[in-house]
Amino acid sequence: MTTLLSKFRDKSGRIATQRFFKDYGLIVVMLMVIAGITSIERNFLSLENMIGILYQVAIIGVMAACMTFVIITGGIDLSVGPVMAISGLLAVFTLESTGMSLVSAVCVGLLAGAIIGTINGFAIGRFKLPPFVVTLGMMSIIRGTALLIGDATVHLISGPESFLFIGTGQLFGIPFPILIFATVATLIYFIQTRTPFGLTVFAIGENQEAARLAGLPVLKTKTLVYTLSGVGASIAGIILASQVHTASAVYGNGSELDSIAAVVVGGTSLAGGSGSVHRSVLGALLIGIINNGLSILNVSIELQLVAKGIIIVLALALDRYLQSEK
Amino acid sequence: MKKNILLQARDVSKRYYAVQALSEANIEIYSGEVHALIGSNGAGKSTLIKILTGAVVPDTGEVLLNGKQIPHGDTKAALDAGIACIYQESNLVPTLSVMDNILLGRQPTLRMGVLDRKAQRAIVVDLLKKHDLNLDPDAAVQSLSTVQQKEVEIAKALSLNAKVVLMDEPTAWLSQVEVEKLFRSIRKLTDEGAGVLYISHVLDEIFTIADRVTVIRDGKVLLSTAISDTTKSALVQTMLGRQLSSEVNALQQEQAEKHLGFVALECRQMSRAGLFQDVNLKVHRGEIVCITGLIGAKRTELVRTLFGAELPDSGEVLIDDKPAHIRRPLDAIRYGMGLIPEDRRRDGLLMNLSINHNLVMAYLPLVTRLGLLAPDLFKRMGQFQMDRLGIVPPHLEIPARNLSGGNQQKVLIGRWLAGKTGIIILDEPTVGVDVGAKADIYKLLRDLADYGTAILIVSSDMEEVMTVADRILVMARGGLVASFQKGRVTQEQILNAASGEMVQ
Repeated sequence: MTTLLSKFRDKSGRIATQRFFKDYGLIVVMLMVIAGITSIERNFLSLENMIGILYQVAIIGVMAACMTFVIITGGIDLSVGPVMAISGLLAVFTLESTGMSLVSAVCVGLLAGAIIGTINGFAIGRFKLPPFVVTLGMMSIIRGTALLIGDATVHLISGPESFLFIGTGQLFGIPFPILIFATVATLIYFIQTRTPFGLTVFAIGENQEAARLAGLPVLKTKTLVYTLSGVGASIAGIILASQVHTASAVYGNGSELDSIAAVVVGGTSLAGGSGSVHRSVLGALLIGIINNGLSILNVSIELQLVAKGIIIVLALALDRYLQSEK
Repeated sequence: MKKNILLQARDVSKRYYAVQALSEANIEIYSGEVHALIGSNGAGKSTLIKILTGAVVPDTGEVLLNGKQIPHGDTKAALDAGIACIYQESNLVPTLSVMDNILLGRQPTLRMGVLDRKAQRAIVVDLLKKHDLNLDPDAAVQSLSTVQQKEVEIAKALSLNAKVVLMDEPTAWLSQVEVEKLFRSIRKLTDEGAGVLYISHVLDEIFTIADRVTVIRDGKVLLSTAISDTTKSALVQTMLGRQLSSEVNALQQEQAEKHLGFVALECRQMSRAGLFQDVNLKVHRGEIVCITGLIGAKRTELVRTLFGAELPDSGEVLIDDKPAHIRRPLDAIRYGMGLIPEDRRRDGLLMNLSINHNLVMAYLPLVTRLGLLAPDLFKRMGQFQMDRLGIVPPHLEIPARNLSGGNQQKVLIGRWLAGKTGIIILDEPTVGVDVGAKADIYKLLRDLADYGTAILIVSSDMEEVMTVADRILVMARGGLVASFQKGRVTQEQILNAASGEMVQ
């Protein structure tokens, strides 16, 4: 009787742990990091600081969420940094030339990202070019174009208030960028789980030829995931411009790597086929927590970079380990 | 040239668990001869080759080269002694040059291990010239045609001073012209005094190239004779172990068609360069048509083209007597076609997705409401197919990779049943499927046909062809060469047709 009972408990217990770590390994890692930082600096856990972290994470988080589908299909988008910059610039120029119309400014910014992303996607889907090379080329093209139309100078935004609200406003005491981040992430998660498109993304990442033979629209889907990634970068670019009241052709440098890091730390495989938007959000949060924690602990900026790199790799390794643990 | 025994296997036997793969087999290969080895699948040919190359240790018996015993299970010793093997799949490094491939691992070096390019080139150029092989030493192997790649392998064998070259179905992926070219290279080998063991399913080839032939069945060598002392039918008969029944006649195709429903799928004069030419075929509603033939007959390429997975150079496809414009699989599916590919792991299933996902994947619009997936429809459709097909274990959430071969195949069939599929094409539907699931699949296909589905099957399994087909088409070297009605044909006739013998 006792043996039977202990056997049962043992068995069910193990299965439960396994499933728990598969789904929540990243959260466990995150809690460990939070506990570590808090044990040194108690203020880290304050509400203001938590909101601060979300505020800092919002921009990269939006990009990471929107790039998740690209990476699930086995691709990558290196062009999102320059897209951020050019979207911010175009939005600001539109504001100036159309007499401060908010809607048209945002639309022009988003359209730029959508068009650039679609070109990426079409080249990758239709002509079967490698995503790394296509988006690397696009990264250079867009950065160059941004510099051509905006110079290397910083363009001040004088208004309207409604545009500045995007990056600096608050709703119910929550900074508006956090709300945008939450909305975008929820929307993408919904697309992932509830639409044929989301399912097709997974099927392509898992086995493109099998997906094609099952009649799934491979070309269309592969194009659209890059469109979505481009739009995500545009949203991020507009938030950034509004946050810092300026637009510049040099903004967003390196942000492509930050957003790819967020997706990958979230556990989405660069080989494609697996991953999830909510995990990318967690990945972005983890990186944000690490950045913030290191600043709070007064670690010098140079050491921060080194520490951040180490922690990202360790976090990914620990998550993999927890997932594979029985 | 003096004919002496080069390579000899004496009384070799090999047992795998309950299966006697080879029992006391003997084979001798003389210098300067091409020796053909034939037998149906599972007869023991591969086991014999593996024993000759040292890849498999025989239970009894010995392998002798020039009268000297070669140590068992030592592939390097066999290679050093001069036994080279050209496998069906290439053993070359595609990105390296012809020169590097030929001397791979044995390149001459200068001091400090730096490659001596000059000496290497001299050796290779000399070798190619000596054997009259027209290859560019600097060309990357991946840029060569299949037959040229075989030539590189032959050159490699020559550079190793191979005395015996074993070739496992070397023509499986070659066209007729390329086969002739390969034969010339083989002749050069034997002119040099080497012996060649040539394994092939194609009897025509054997009568062209071979000097002697050995027939193997159920692990036993049944016949070893000069090619001039035998005939194709005698060989077929020995391979199958049954008498050739000459009284069975194939019924004329037209006569049979009168009793059938509408033509569901038809293709006219369909061709693809280098693969198949002017193929005409019809599949009626309620009919099961099997295309059989040997490896390399391009059956898979044909059905993939019908389904739009690849594009034809010319020819047209008609669905229900109307011209169909099929440029991609999605078009074919809209015309009510479904394809179950040959390699279900590579091209069919989404291994990490659930059974349910795999079952609904081809007809996502049917489980969608207002553009969104409807979980209830999604699950109901999966459940329905799962129950209907008897998929085990009956849990929709299990990933497809955890299923047995038979159940994986059922999932793939179920995928098409979910929609309005009226034409189902199956490519080798029961490879790797256990006996029970096989019977289930046959019954299911018959039921579907009885309800009016047109079914086209590509199969190399003779028993399967004889069991399920209403009509049997034989494909050889890119063309349909014979058509038989069920019950009016023997395996021998089919095999004869497949190996190139004309059937009246």
